[in-house]
Amino acid sequence: MIRNYIKTAFRNIRRNWSYAFLNVFGLTLGIASCLVIFLIVRNELNYDNYAKADRIYRVTLNAIDFNSNVSLAIAPKMRNDFPELRVAQVMYSHDVMVKVDNKRFRDNDFAIADEHLPQIFDFKWIAGDPKTALAEPNSLVLNETLAKKYFGDANPMGRVINVENQINAKVTGVIKDQPGNRSVPLQMMLSFESIRKQVNLKEFWNIGGGFFTFVLLPPNYPVQRLQARMPAFLKKNWALNPKEVRLPIQPLRDIHFDQRYINNVITPVSRDTYYALFGVALLIIITACINFVNLATAQAIRRAKEVGVRKVLGASRTQLVKQFLGETSVLVFIALVLGVSLAVFFLSVAGGWLNIKTDATQLAQPVVIGWIGGVTFAVILIAGLYPAFVQSAFQPVDSLKNIAGRMSKGFTLRKGLVVAQFAISQILIVGTLIVAHQMDYFENEDLGFNKESVVSFYIPDGKKTDMLKNELLNNPGVEQVTLSNGAPSYNNNFGPFQAPDRGLTKDDVTETKQVDENYIDMFSLKMLAGEKITKVDPKDTVQNVVVNQTLIEKLGILNPDKAVGEHFVLNGQRANIIGVLQDFQSESKHKKRRACVLIYRPGNFFMASVKIRPGAINKTIERIGKSWAGLFPDNLFDYQFLDDHIASFYTQEQKVYTAFKLFSGIAILIGCLGLYGLIMFAAAQRTKEIGIRKVLGAPIASIITLFSKEFVVLIAIAFIIAAPLGYYMMNNWLSNYAYHITIGPWTFVLAVIASIIIAVITIAYQTIKAALVNPVKSLRSE
Amino acid sequence: MEAPMIKITDLEKFYRTEEVETIALNKLSIEVKTGEFVAIMGPSGCGKSTLLNILGMLDDPDEGSYVFNGVEVAHFTERKRADLRKHNIGFVFQSFNLIDELTVFENVELPLIYTGVPSAERVKRVEEVLDKMQIMHRRNHYPQQLSGGQQQRVAIARAVVNKPKLILADEPTGNLDSSNGNDVMELLTDLNEQGTTIIMVTHSEHDARYSHRIIRLLDGQTVVENIMI
Repeated sequence: MIRNYIKTAFRNIRRNWSYAFLNVFGLTLGIASCLVIFLIVRNELNYDNYAKADRIYRVTLNAIDFNSNVSLAIAPKMRNDFPELRVAQVMYSHDVMVKVDNKRFRDNDFAIADEHLPQIFDFKWIAGDPKTALAEPNSLVLNETLAKKYFGDANPMGRVINVENQINAKVTGVIKDQPGNRSVPLQMMLSFESIRKQVNLKEFWNIGGGFFTFVLLPPNYPVQRLQARMPAFLKKNWALNPKEVRLPIQPLRDIHFDQRYINNVITPVSRDTYYALFGVALLIIITACINFVNLATAQAIRRAKEVGVRKVLGASRTQLVKQFLGETSVLVFIALVLGVSLAVFFLSVAGGWLNIKTDATQLAQPVVIGWIGGVTFAVILIAGLYPAFVQSAFQPVDSLKNIAGRMSKGFTLRKGLVVAQFAISQILIVGTLIVAHQMDYFENEDLGFNKESVVSFYIPDGKKTDMLKNELLNNPGVEQVTLSNGAPSYNNNFGPFQAPDRGLTKDDVTETKQVDENYIDMFSLKMLAGEKITKVDPKDTVQNVVVNQTLIEKLGILNPDKAVGEHFVLNGQRANIIGVLQDFQSESKHKKRRACVLIYRPGNFFMASVKIRPGAINKTIERIGKSWAGLFPDNLFDYQFLDDHIASFYTQEQKVYTAFKLFSGIAILIGCLGLYGLIMFAAAQRTKEIGIRKVLGAPIASIITLFSKEFVVLIAIAFIIAAPLGYYMMNNWLSNYAYHITIGPWTFVLAVIASIIIAVITIAYQTIKAALVNPVKSLRSE
Repeated sequence: MEAPMIKITDLEKFYRTEEVETIALNKLSIEVKTGEFVAIMGPSGCGKSTLLNILGMLDDPDEGSYVFNGVEVAHFTERKRADLRKHNIGFVFQSFNLIDELTVFENVELPLIYTGVPSAERVKRVEEVLDKMQIMHRRNHYPQQLSGGQQQRVAIARAVVNKPKLILADEPTGNLDSSNGNDVMELLTDLNEQGTTIIMVTHSEHDARYSHRIIRLLDGQTVVENIMI
């Protein structure tokens, strides 16, 4: 019996291959998309799944705002006061320069880590002893990739690597590459002992970017107990008021998602984003299932006779339902095989494009196989059961007379499903448009400074700053040069400020930009009142500052003109306001803009920013590189365009946006396949009607209208559903950002126009074909 | 006297639309004995096909009684009718109604599958009947590869493979030329001589002459019965 079902199924596929193709193709795309999305989401939601992850916490700082970085003083004191804990400290840096056998490299994900770290994070050790590898000064642990890069197939153990022209360290361990989903990704670790003598281990407020402290709790040790002891710990060691300073103990598994700790070292993402992506996967599968149901019920008209004959010959309803389910299963299994292959292919070829650090071998895991099985089973039931019942319900007398298909029941449902598909595409179009607009807003709009044609690079040696500046100014491709501790989007220096005269007696935090006299002009920062920064004698201790609008508002001054001449306390010293700037976007738009102070302080000019004349940008950069290398022969020239730096704030968003574009496109394509199939059947079914209309004198245009009209009505109904839903969902998403666009009506107008255009293109071919058929032919065929 | 295989009494069937009620069968009473070969004739719309559908339990009457082999079946559920039908009745249609996706062999095999005959037995019986209908050489062909006459022979083979007591034929020669039509009528006559009861709807006086008795219908009622000699 089952053999018989499968045989019939294959024959049906062969006979109606276009129907089978539309279904299988749509479902293949659907299954592949779902799998890829599942792997992405699973990978993201499983961030930091170290073996002991449930007992690992990060000690963070909550003084004025939440800070993931803490002082190096905390770890030793915690070890002393809480001997039951294992405490490790890490100084993480996105990149590092190393020299191996006179070859220089710049590589990512470097950390200075103590010997306790390997006891907390379970690295997989290929060589070296996890207990001792980081215990001695000048020891270095590499991952497999870097070991291979630096030493090829030779044994890396014991080899010497120079780090940042400062430390010669010996390789004492090699670990396997970490998976992509690690908040603190590590490729290379230098032992903390190597720098112990150079760092301040006492001062609580000495905090550097990427200074993390991790603790491992003993089994069954409630974190609340540790948290409860922190106020006393702060008071005892640094005499700090626990009401003003807290040390929140953050679970490791929350780091990737905790929006309170947005900063430039590690950007957390919102879980919602991944739930949204998951929602898209669901919509894709629903669209593919709708295709199945629609095409199968449309087919039912064709197959009514067969059902009638089978019933006359004694088939029971159950037998027919089984037969149709069998046919659906065959199609689903074909799609499954193709879909899994497509997903594997996609991950291996295009995974990097979506920035997915996961690979196809993940597909072999039991949970993934279970997921695939579940999806398959659900699709067979959802897509197969309803058509099976509709088809098997035909009364043999009706179906033999071929009137069954004209019953309105199936068609109304089909219209409903088409409306659902249109609504899904419209929601996805609206979503994609809004994400695109927000992305553009992030990177290009409302920044408050000019970012075009600007490159920035660090100055390794402060003594040669003036020489570098001269070389740059002599470069004909360079328009302007400014020196600072960071271009507008590089924010790395924060300090406390007060204004006791104005009632601000408690410390607030301000960003401090130490800049030269060209900074404001070169970045086109907008002055609201007063003067710009000017060059002052380094010996002059008077602090003349230019502040932003947010800062004067904190001082309670609303009119910028009135702020000029006022003063406040910056880093414990009087600061005179000589000018006021409009706020500019120095951090990502996730965050509210903060107070900012510009001050002239040449001792801290670590970065040069150069505005390049349009035209020969590459050539100019090449010349800059040569001058730079001449001055700093021991370093690698590494520059960044300002717009790339700004874009790097939004890499997570960019990744999700790319995924949204791709998967929305796929969902819409699948919907189009279904629509194409439907119109194909409608055209076939209405051949006679078209023939009669043409005999009676209908022009081709009126026949095309006849078909299109119906779909335009359905698109309109879909819009009524999609518009409020899309608005609600996207508004929710936008509220994640401190600065975002407002959703305008044009987005929806565009979505409707897009869905009409897509529908018209989809149905055009079949409709025109049907309209052009010679009426004699279509009438004869009846 | 032997009880009739089929006895219908005061059978009524209406077709309603919103405005019109059409009476397809109007208090019709007919008896058919086991082993008979009966032809039903009449103009278009006289109720022939409706009667055949009710006799074949594909449709149920609105009023009246239908006793099949001594059992009242007029108001059987669909499931019970289907069960009775698949064991007792074979159908032959004007348009053959073969399933295009199945081969000759598989088409004929289908009723045996639905009555649960084991595989080996099915092969034996299908081959037997294909042999009898002289289309064994076409067993692996699909319907569209056959001529009309061959297709109807397959349809008859399918109708008889389950050894039904009754064959209902709805204009079995309607789509055939006269030579093929005669072949089909010979086949039906043979089956009847071997004991199968046959009820055939036809427009053709020529075909009707193969039967024992002609029932002529007009507006859902019997107008005359001719006994053939």
